[in-house]
Amino acid sequence: MSVAPSQEKAGSADLQVRRGITRRQALATALAAGVGVGAVRLLGGSMQNLARPKAGSATDWISPLGSESARVMHLLRRTSFGSTPAQLESALADGFNRTVDRLIETKPVEPPQLAAASAPGGRFAVAQLQQWWVDHMLRTATPFAERITLFWHGHFTSDYRKAGDNTFMYWQNLTWRRMSMTDLRSMLMQVTIDPAMLRYLDLATSTGQSPNENYSRELMELFTMGPGNYTEDDVRQSAKALAGWQVPQPDSFATVTTNNVTRRLPVYSGQKSGVFNPRRAFKGDVSYLGSTGPLDTQGVIDRILAQPATAQFIAAKVAQHFVSVQPDAAFVTSLADAFRRSKYDMKTLMRAVFASSHFTAPQSYRTLVKSPIEFMVHAVRALGVPNSKLIVAAGSGMGQSLFDPPDVGGWPNNESWISSNTVVERVNFVTSALSQVKTALPTMSDAARVHLDGVLSPQTASLLNQAADARARWFITLASPEFQLK
Amino acid sequence: MSREIGINQLKRRDFLKAGLVFGAGAAGLAAGYAAVPDAFARAVYAAKREGLTNDNILVMIQLAGGNDGLRTVVPLAEPALHDLRPKLSGPMVSQALPLNDRFGLNHNLGAIKGLWDKGRVAIVQGVGYPNPTFSHFESIRIWETGDPTRRQVDGWLGRTLASAYDSNGHPLTGCACGATDVPGALRDLQATMTVIQNQKTFGFTGGSEVEAAVGALYKGTPGIYGALFDTAIATATETMSTLRTSAATYQPMADYTDKVQLVYSSKNQLAAALQLAAELIVTGTGVKLLHVTLGGFDTHYTELNRHDDLMGYLDSAVGAFYQDLAAHGMADKVLIATWSEFGRRPKENASGGTDHGAAAPLLLIGDPVKGGLYGEAPSLTALDGSGNLKYAVDFRSVYQEILGGHLGAGSSQILGASFDRVPFLKAPVAATV
Repeated sequence: MSVAPSQEKAGSADLQVRRGITRRQALATALAAGVGVGAVRLLGGSMQNLARPKAGSATDWISPLGSESARVMHLLRRTSFGSTPAQLESALADGFNRTVDRLIETKPVEPPQLAAASAPGGRFAVAQLQQWWVDHMLRTATPFAERITLFWHGHFTSDYRKAGDNTFMYWQNLTWRRMSMTDLRSMLMQVTIDPAMLRYLDLATSTGQSPNENYSRELMELFTMGPGNYTEDDVRQSAKALAGWQVPQPDSFATVTTNNVTRRLPVYSGQKSGVFNPRRAFKGDVSYLGSTGPLDTQGVIDRILAQPATAQFIAAKVAQHFVSVQPDAAFVTSLADAFRRSKYDMKTLMRAVFASSHFTAPQSYRTLVKSPIEFMVHAVRALGVPNSKLIVAAGSGMGQSLFDPPDVGGWPNNESWISSNTVVERVNFVTSALSQVKTALPTMSDAARVHLDGVLSPQTASLLNQAADARARWFITLASPEFQLK
Repeated sequence: MSREIGINQLKRRDFLKAGLVFGAGAAGLAAGYAAVPDAFARAVYAAKREGLTNDNILVMIQLAGGNDGLRTVVPLAEPALHDLRPKLSGPMVSQALPLNDRFGLNHNLGAIKGLWDKGRVAIVQGVGYPNPTFSHFESIRIWETGDPTRRQVDGWLGRTLASAYDSNGHPLTGCACGATDVPGALRDLQATMTVIQNQKTFGFTGGSEVEAAVGALYKGTPGIYGALFDTAIATATETMSTLRTSAATYQPMADYTDKVQLVYSSKNQLAAALQLAAELIVTGTGVKLLHVTLGGFDTHYTELNRHDDLMGYLDSAVGAFYQDLAAHGMADKVLIATWSEFGRRPKENASGGTDHGAAAPLLLIGDPVKGGLYGEAPSLTALDGSGNLKYAVDFRSVYQEILGGHLGAGSSQILGASFDRVPFLKAPVAATV
């Protein structure tokens, strides 16, 4: 990477320790362009385009993915929350293929128990739950498990407001992590009978006599097949077939008085799944996805898995999340084929994703926008200030609060993360994270390489070279458009 | 404030030709849509018509999740209602605020009923579209784009912004209040718009130094998101400067409160969002198209209290908003319109709730309206094959009246066709269609 020597030079000039960036420094950047250009890998043709604007010829980032080390960093950026220098060195020594193996084969480290989750009725602040998860993201030795759990949290989503029991939300998070790299067939059963999901999509109150269609519809529309691959009649029929599940019976009850209101709240001795009550189930045949007969929950799931649309839909969503904003159709189909052939094995799917030429193609470079959680966790780890409270408080202004998705579709992605509101919140987050650093900032000499691949826009490069001190350079690095991308 | 286009110049057709149409996230993916980023935007020089000269303003309130029309505008003399909704129909009929012999407003819509009594509320009944979808995301997209054939990717208000106003350089022409991302109705490749979640916190920590640094950092950003990033920062900076002035001059003349009783706490702060809308309107910031959202209407479960609470929240926020506008002498300029992706199934389910439905009424509120009932209430005894209410008025008829009659924008150009008139405006500014 050509950036290192010049960056070290910039770092050694860091004699002043001042906070912030002065207006003059910011405005003087144009003059520094000559220095900046030397320091960075510039975009091919960008200067010509500046000189001769031409419709349809926007500049793009130059992909560094021709080099093995850049491919490793690209992989880590999409599967972790930023690496310590030691983690990066070890991954670079392993190389791309062995790093993929390690990511996929390493068993997820479980988060520490959340003591608050034993509160009767799951009545503890959602912020405690959010901080608990973010704390784990900040410290875990298996960050990919958290990235993929976050992916599933947006896919098989639930919302603490409607679940109405934060212990159920806690259990759901533990379950999603444990199942995250298993197979879709087992996952769909666990999702269906998950207590928070039973509440969130109303299956817990559905009966065969008078079915509630909420879960039945979203199971097909959002979780497996996508719209257009089933009929309204299929929604009604599987609503009947799925009815009968209820949230688990508590082991005991506790009487709790808050604000002069006394409630009898459920207490569970440990994590439980939903229970099936045959009296609430539908008795009789249903006609579902092309065949007729008696059908139980596993039967519904197996019919869904027999539809080619399911593998296609999951593969497209995974590719859009991990590879590029608009993945190539033939690539998605090849992923779907591999996924289905493997009996919906997630390891097979993720290996096919990372091993594909599409993953490291120049067209995939910086085509995804970090979600707010990804951005914030990466930023505070880079600064060595692992403050989960800060992250939880800042999420909503950027559009992402854990356990509180905007709707049953989960979180939007990419360009939806960019608006006049969210960019300001992202910049402000960098400012407040920097203000947490009370002692010396981490060394800056390698930051543009470690966190930005050494691929900088002319603006970012010249601002970095002009910045008065390490604090200003960290601000520019983490607030830059480059750092928002993955 | 820089409005440079720099290296990000792109023409819309080149952009589309290049296949760079973005996915719209989980919902969009599920709905089979590709949404388009709201910017590339400034990067596009499109020939614009002269800006419209009237000073009318539109505020759209999205009731997200599918608002139950039968509990909003309640049929008072329909025996079938009790059969369809044994648990849900009782108090909703006896407590309704009568509009005439046949219909009443939900009992928590007292402020809106007060405006009805003064002729300031038009209710269009039986609004929907042919072959309804029961997917939230598909139906939201249809309402947002104004296109049941699902070919259109830009929002109907975004297209209005792009074709009728010069939003480039005037990012407050269209504004989503109380949101973090651009609502689909406002999206358009050729328009710029503002998103402000919470006015109190909208600003750069660190003030002008940070603002200047970020302004220098986000300029000519490469890549497919480059123009979007640069536009967002430029828009934010320009809006902050406008808000500094407006916040100093605006005094609310009504009690806005988000401290309301709800079965599930709300993600949206509707009253605060409408208060920001009022501030932008009464201080003359140039806003034309505003969008706010209240979620929580997907009442599959325990609908009784949930829906009543939501109606009460809507009523108090809208009541305060109207009162504030009137006290500032702006009520005659502002049309408030509700929309929701669908109504709910007439027959209740086992959970004391209702599943996804079809046709439902819309409320149009403000001095510009000619109060009364429009459209046709769907029959409860002649349901469609899926047990849902049949629509009588295409939702684009309502859009057409808003565009042509209130904003004076060319509705047939924006909607791509002409629809039957629903003449709910007192004095349309221009011939519709």
